[in-house]
Amino acid sequence: MTYSLTEPQQILGQRAREFAFEFLDPILADLDRGQIFPKALIGRLAAHDFLGLMVPKQSGVPGAGFVSHIEVVQALSRSCPAIASVINNHALVAYAIAHWGCESQKNAYLPAMIKGEKLGAIAVQEEGPIPGDGPAALLAVPQGSGFILNGTKTFVRNAGVADVYLVFATIQSGLTGFVVDAGTAGLSVGPRLETMGLRACPVADLSFKNVAVSETTVVGGEDPSVAGQLLSIGAVAEAAQTVGIARAAVSHAAEYAKRRVQFRHPIARLQAIQTLLAEIVTDSHMAWLGIRHAAQLIEDGAPFEAEAAMVKLFLGRFGSKMLIDAIQIEGGMGICEVVPKHISGPLPLARMFRDIAGTTLLDAPDDFPDKVVAAAVS
Amino acid sequence: MNPEQAAVRQSAKEFVAGNIIPYAEYYDKSGDFHAYLLEATRTTGIFAMAVPTEYGGLGYCPLTQALVLEEWGYGCAAMGTTLSASILSMEAVLIAGNEDQKRRFCKPMLEAGLGAFALTEPAAGSDASAGVAIAVKSGNDYILNGPKCWITNGGVASVYVVFAATDPARGAKGLSAFIVERGLPGFIPGDREEKLGLRSSNTSFFFLKDVRVPAANLLGQEGDGMKIAMETLDIARPAIGALAVGLAQRCLDECVKHLRRRFPAKSFPGETLQFELADMQIEIEGARQAQHHTMALREAKLPFTKESAVAKTLCTAVAMNVTSRAMRLMGSHAYTSEFGKFMRDAKVMQIYEGTNQIQRLVIARSVLAPPRAAAPATTAGKK
Repeated sequence: MTYSLTEPQQILGQRAREFAFEFLDPILADLDRGQIFPKALIGRLAAHDFLGLMVPKQSGVPGAGFVSHIEVVQALSRSCPAIASVINNHALVAYAIAHWGCESQKNAYLPAMIKGEKLGAIAVQEEGPIPGDGPAALLAVPQGSGFILNGTKTFVRNAGVADVYLVFATIQSGLTGFVVDAGTAGLSVGPRLETMGLRACPVADLSFKNVAVSETTVVGGEDPSVAGQLLSIGAVAEAAQTVGIARAAVSHAAEYAKRRVQFRHPIARLQAIQTLLAEIVTDSHMAWLGIRHAAQLIEDGAPFEAEAAMVKLFLGRFGSKMLIDAIQIEGGMGICEVVPKHISGPLPLARMFRDIAGTTLLDAPDDFPDKVVAAAVS
Repeated sequence: MNPEQAAVRQSAKEFVAGNIIPYAEYYDKSGDFHAYLLEATRTTGIFAMAVPTEYGGLGYCPLTQALVLEEWGYGCAAMGTTLSASILSMEAVLIAGNEDQKRRFCKPMLEAGLGAFALTEPAAGSDASAGVAIAVKSGNDYILNGPKCWITNGGVASVYVVFAATDPARGAKGLSAFIVERGLPGFIPGDREEKLGLRSSNTSFFFLKDVRVPAANLLGQEGDGMKIAMETLDIARPAIGALAVGLAQRCLDECVKHLRRRFPAKSFPGETLQFELADMQIEIEGARQAQHHTMALREAKLPFTKESAVAKTLCTAVAMNVTSRAMRLMGSHAYTSEFGKFMRDAKVMQIYEGTNQIQRLVIARSVLAPPRAAAPATTAGKK
């Protein structure tokens, strides 16, 4: 396996960095403060080919594939990881339809999703510890040639702004995916929840009250592994956000350390500061190698779930730690939400600290990812 | 813990449950100073818990103070910070002040007034001796000039201990400490900082422009400043540890409450998760003991500089670790609720009152110090 990017992959990464510089950097503080979803950006993201990278055959974009997707996600996350969240959730739905959907689903959704005319959202989590378990579980009951959905999905990203939801509901044996259009009768979006970080990406609950769907909305038939595979792929894509944030943070902290003079020298000369910088860079590098490896497996259609779980396990331990240490380097300046009058900015680490915590959450059964990794030990 | 201490802790728990926990989220969101709290404590006199009884205070011993601070940290580390920072400033006066100064400085504490300890400057963070604030003798007064930043209670205190150089050429040895009452001409208050955590604790910049302070307000002698600051911080650091232990315990308790709700009795969380919870409790318990040990040393009038730095570093690291892990375990539930506050508060605690890197310098110095006396010969009598 090679870790060097192809030329088209490099070009995509470069385009993502330019996009972030031109369109995200100027507005990201406002998006964060105001919890604003930047609807106008979706079309621009599509115009740059960032919305369809996980559906290689359909997109026609040179270099498309999961490796390109994480390259773009990582680059955008250096600036605005919340936008990367929006893209990741959208892309997972597109990926699911491309891999497990029928021809008519592909035709109905993929071209529009790639063009940004339809935004996707994936809904797996429920109030109970595992989907299907608990009083508010989303259940699908067969009726005629379709199903009736009742129950609640929690913490759905892109909720309220998505045009199409990939919803996992329990049918007797296991979880089944359904494509449900926004606006379907009986489907309602709860109030937008206030989040600690990633605030440009809306989060809300979805409730289903006697929502009738036809059998043609089922994605992946009764294959019980679809939801798990998507969560694993999502974990890798999310990890690319974590690394993007950490890379931006460590660059900022290093620049700060070169400027900040204490004990008569820039603090970058202090071994204690060098060690902190070295640890952050090392952790993010190790994480990135794991992500690249898992991404290549996913792109090649090889088994990837243990590798994806390792990425999740690793960043569960080191994700937030990278920002905890980066802020430590900047001290009082690191905890500023607003640049004080007597200082020259920008000071983005407080926002990054709030963002990175959101990329490492364990929104999965409590034995994930440890159990998946352990099972792979032969 | 003796019965009096148990009673103090119980009443602190009740105060925190009634007056702190219900309001912490609101003040965290707004970032405004929690002024209501001063009024609420007026009858309990808790802001005077460290004031000796001869000056009219409660005269709590260090361990009893720590028990109260842990409860306040449990309720809201930002509000606990207001209390501990006020005590910190007063300790400087108790260490170095004369009778008149102690009486004057303690008086506002008896009426739920606040003190502030003003050492840090834009150019003097971890390097406390690099400040530019100066004090020039003029007749019976000193004239103070210079900037102070990151001062806890800086915008809301009624009395300050301000550090300024009386002999700038001598660096740390030329630093002196002064009592400065708020409202003196030339005391120019700045804005409060908008912070990641401890948001409702007031952190402010202020500027001194030709502020005339009576020579009677000089603490100790000229040049005593750095010594006073270091001794005061020795006392203050385990207090931060106590707040951090309270914060960590609160976060673990909330995490357990959430998991109990999420996992019905029949599906108790698996060992992976159970052991995470156990690890958190192990860390918290260890940190609590380290912090109590420091308080006991101080009470016994034994050296505690190293232990003080250990307690501050350990307790705040545990708070950071426990809050991050709990955030991860609670997942989106924590990310979309007030629990994010715990993690944000813990981060700030690793920085203020001397960053944990500065604590490590103190600890390493002590670890590397040559032994005071030759170790007794252990081989004697073996042959």
